[in-house]
Order: sequence, then C-alpha cells, then structure tokens
Amino acid sequence: MKKIILLMALVISRFLPSYAQSATDLRINEYLILNDSGYVDDFGVHNPWIEIFNTAYNSVNIGGCYLTNDLQNPTKYVIPKGDPITLIAPRNYIVFWADNKPTHGILHLNFDLRESTFIALFDSDGKTLIDSTTLVSPRKDISYGRIEDGGALWTYHEKTTPNANNQTEAPVLAAERIVKIDPYGLGMSVIAMSIVFLVLMLIFLMFKQFSASVARNEKRRSRKQSQVEEIVISEEMAAAIGMALHLYHKDMTEYENLVLTINKVSRTYSPWNSKLYGISKWPKAN
Amino acid sequence: MRNIITFLSDNLNQFFTYTAFANFTIGHLIMILVGLAFIYLAIKKEYEPLLLVPIGFGILVGNVPFYPGLKIGIYESGSVLNYLYFGVLQGVYPPLIFLGIGAMTDFSALISNPKLILIGAAAQLGIFGAYALALLLGFSASEAGAIGIIGGADGPTAIFLASKLAPELLGAIAISAYSYMALVPVIQPPVMRLLTTPKERVIRMKAPRAVSRTEKILFPILGLLLTTFVVPSGMPLLGMLFFGNLLKESGVTRRLADTAKGPLIDIVTILIGLTVGASTQATTFLTAKSVGIFALGAASFIVATFGGVVFVKFINLFLKEENKINPLIGNAGVSAVPDSARVSQIIGLEYDKTNHLLMHAMGPNVAGVIGSAVAAGVLLSFLY
Repeated sequence: MKKIILLMALVISRFLPSYAQSATDLRINEYLILNDSGYVDDFGVHNPWIEIFNTAYNSVNIGGCYLTNDLQNPTKYVIPKGDPITLIAPRNYIVFWADNKPTHGILHLNFDLRESTFIALFDSDGKTLIDSTTLVSPRKDISYGRIEDGGALWTYHEKTTPNANNQTEAPVLAAERIVKIDPYGLGMSVIAMSIVFLVLMLIFLMFKQFSASVARNEKRRSRKQSQVEEIVISEEMAAAIGMALHLYHKDMTEYENLVLTINKVSRTYSPWNSKLYGISKWPKAN
Repeated sequence: MRNIITFLSDNLNQFFTYTAFANFTIGHLIMILVGLAFIYLAIKKEYEPLLLVPIGFGILVGNVPFYPGLKIGIYESGSVLNYLYFGVLQGVYPPLIFLGIGAMTDFSALISNPKLILIGAAAQLGIFGAYALALLLGFSASEAGAIGIIGGADGPTAIFLASKLAPELLGAIAISAYSYMALVPVIQPPVMRLLTTPKERVIRMKAPRAVSRTEKILFPILGLLLTTFVVPSGMPLLGMLFFGNLLKESGVTRRLADTAKGPLIDIVTILIGLTVGASTQATTFLTAKSVGIFALGAASFIVATFGGVVFVKFINLFLKEENKINPLIGNAGVSAVPDSARVSQIIGLEYDKTNHLLMHAMGPNVAGVIGSAVAAGVLLSFLY
C-alpha cells in the first residue's frame, strides 16, 4: 500500500509543471522601435515602446522586476514596487516607454530602444531571466511581436496593438475548426470516448490492484491471528437486553415506533465543536 | 367629473397594458401547460419530484407574461430572477450540486468490483451519439456538444456544459435533460429487454465484498488525481464530487458532509430548478431548435442505454461463468442516480424474484456520474 502511494507521488511529481502563477508568467509580447505616428505617451510624444503580457489567469505584479537592454547589467531599470499600475490583470498588458526618460514616470525606462539590440525582463532577484528577445531590424510604425499573445511565434505587425490583443482578426473557434475536419463528429466521438475509457480504465486498474492488495493483507492478517477474540454474551445478558427492549417498547404510545439507533458517543476533534473539547483533546498522532 | 373619468380610464388602460392578459400569447399558454404537466408528473406520479416541482413551477413563473422593461423577467438585467439565474449562466450551481452528490454517494459497490466502472464509460456513448446526430441535423459543433451531454443523464453536468458552449440553448437542454431523467423508467426498460436474452436476465452476480475505510478514503483522492490530470477541464465538477465524497468518507467532517448533502444541495436544487424553469420563457424557448433538442435528448438516452447493456454483454464474453455480469445493470451506466439503478432492480426482479441487482447496479451508476463529468470535460476542452 505504502509502495503504491509512493509510486503515485513520484509519478505525479514527475509531471508537475515547474512554473507557478507569478512574475514568471510575464512575457515580452510586442515592441515598436521606430514610432513615427503611432501610440503616444502621456506627454504626447511618439516613443519606442515595449509591451509585456501577463499569460496567467490571475493578476501578476511586475513591480520589483527589472527591464534591461544589457545582459551584463540585468538590473538596469527597476520597476518600482507598490504602484497600482504595475499590477497586471489576468491575460492583460502593460506598456513601457523605452525612451531613456525615467523622470517622465515609472513606465518610462532608462534606456532607448533605438540604441538597443536586445531586451530582457528579470525577476525581482535580479538573476532569474523571465523573458528576453533580440531586437529585429526596425521598420517605421511597424511593430514586432508574438503572433498570438504569449505564443512562441513572432512576426511584424503592420497594425500595432499596444495594450491590446496581437491578433486583430477574429480567431476561428475551436469548435468551428473541429467541424471543418470532422463534419459528422465520428472522429471526435472516437477520440472523446477513448479518453473517457482511458480515464475510467486508470481508476479501474488502480482499484483492481488495490483490491488485490487488500485481499492479500487480509489473508496475511487472518493467518497471523491465532487467537480469535470472541464476544460471548451469556444467556442472562441476552435475556436482560431483551427484557429492557420489551419494557421500553411497552411504554411507548401507539403513535411511536421503536427505532433503535446506536451511535458512537465519542466526538472527533474539531476546533469548531467546542472550545473545551478543542483544548482537551489533540488530533490523533497516527 | 369628465376629467376624472378620463384620468381613470387612461390609468386603467395603462394598468391593463401591464397585466399578463395584455401580453399573453399562445406560446405562453403552451409553456404554462408544460409547467403544469411537470407539476402533475411530480406530484401525482412522483417522477423526480425534487426536480420537477421546482422546474415546473419555474416554468409557470417564467411564463407569466409581462410588460418588458420593468426588471421582472429572468432575462432582464437587474431583475431578481436574473441575479439568481447568474448561478446557472456562470456554471456556479452545478459544481455545488456535485459537492452534495459526492457527500451522499457511496462508492463501495464500485470499489468492491472495479470493472463495473467501465460500464460507466460505455454508457457515455449516448453523449457522442447525440453529438454526431446533432451535427447531422445542422447544429453547430458547440451546440452539438452541449446537446450531446443530455445523453449523460446528468442535469448539473448538462447545465454546466451548456452554459459554456451554448448558453442560448441552456433552458431547452436543461429541461430536456431533467425530463428524460425523470422518464428513465419509461425509456430504458424496452431497450434493456430488446438487447438481452432470458438467460442473461437471470444471471446472478457475486455478492460485493466489504470495503475498508481506507479504500473509501483513498477513492476520492485518487479518483480526483487520476481524472483531472487527464481532463483538467472537468475539475469544477469532479473536484467538487470527490471533495464531497471525502467529507463523507473521512469520518471526521460529518457536519460538513451533512451540510453538503442536506441544506446546501437543497438550496441549490431549489435555485437551479426554479431558474432553469423560469428560463423557458415562451418568447425564447419555443423554437424549432428546442424541438430538435428534445428529439435528440430522447435519442441520446436510448443510445446510452444501448452502449451500457451491449458493453456488459461484450465483456461477459471474456469473463468466467461465476464472474459474469447481468446485462440488466448496463443501463445504469448513465448517471441518473439512483433511478437507472432502480430500473435495473425492478426489471431484474421481473425475471427472477430473488435476484436483487440494485447493489450491483449502483456501481455503474456512480461510475456514470464520473464518466459524464469526464465526458463534459473532454467536450469542453475540444469545443470551448
């Protein structure tokens, strides 16, 4: 039994993803080097920008992380902590101005994208590289970014999308794609039924093994148990119990039914049960 | 005097435009009759009264005609019914119902004879059969997936999936699923009789062995990990189902288990039943699509029963004589708990007065709950 649990734990830990929902979920998503007539900053100036995308389904605070254009200096620009604008909503964006004007606000970096060949985002320890990219040759008012937000493939975007989805055309829904290649639903039915069978087969195999192991243990235990403990109820005791029940039943009115309920009296520990109970009894150690 | 009469007549006229009579249509009449039929079936025939009474009354509530814009109707943003309907639309209620189901389900029959769990997988054929049929009838893939889940014979699962894949069909799908669940004793027996021989119907199965507490505790934990690691999209339903079961089987959270299987599931059943019923407003419900959904719902239940029974016959080919399974429990692979298991018992007793199949049928029946939730997860991951 212990072996099975250990094996399960090992199998599960092997397949556990190594990332959690934190700053590591952030990705450099799009950038524009030559901003001639596009997006403007709070000062009405066209500046190069970098868009970061939060791939997680929870909010991530980018405050404390570092942006740099120099791998030898990973902590070149520290993104200030504690500002509400650094909290990126789930599947949302933040845009930094790479204009080398840090005095213009926390979203303005201390390096210029036009003088850079590389950008990187480092975690708050200043050592863990979250994401980086080598800059491609700039085109006027054409950004370079991932085809799909957070995706692996990059391309030029004639329609720049700072603070917005990189895909500007309506995506084809999964259901529409499936029905195009499987119009009668046969392929889908076979695959889906196979998955349902696979999942339930896993439970079946697990508990088949488990049943066999339980049966083996019981056999072993019964072999070890040389003396069988028997509860002997004497005839007098049986008569006394019978008489007590009879008298109890006799005392009832005709509207009452005799229902005998035997409940375990001791209560299991719970801090919610009672304070007295909670302080007087500890949870079982084994 | 004349002014007063004009004033009164104008106001009465305006009052009349607000009454149900002024907004009444033949569609409302039809739906009110459907609601009354549900209430009749629930009270007189005792077909799933806990579901059909709230749904039937909900249909009445939803089909009282009203003047639009007064924040009354279930589809009017800001109305009380609309707030309650939020739990249906966003799939909040189904996982809570699954929590209660988990807390009241005893998986012993399944643990003692694990091969019965595969019947719960075979009976999901109804879901995918209905999916293919729906595509043939011209429904989109998302709609077909939402309609197909009716074949899982599980109301909360149907609502959960429909709310994600085809919210506009939610009312029709939910009503269809619950109606056919109530009609399991009518739909399944002819299929079971048709597919089995007299000899098969009297197969006696071995009495299930006693199941240890450790096994009962491990089942929800391992069940959760094994199912959701393959189909994470089934997490809301499977997570709550197995959590509820752990509350029951752990033995140390009796109060929580009692709440989950008692007051909590009762409250959610009232809310889900009433709001699903009220969502069948004639103006949105009475469409050709709804008729198609009802036809497909019936077909899916028949295919599901077929899948379960034929699968048992198939695996019997490989089992020793003493281990054979009575195919009359194959129908119980759909997750209508415990109705379909009860059907197995009743049909079994018709052919052998001493052959009680209920305990055996509960195995595939609870496996059907898991199977339909897994199937819903698969559909969600493919079609959403």
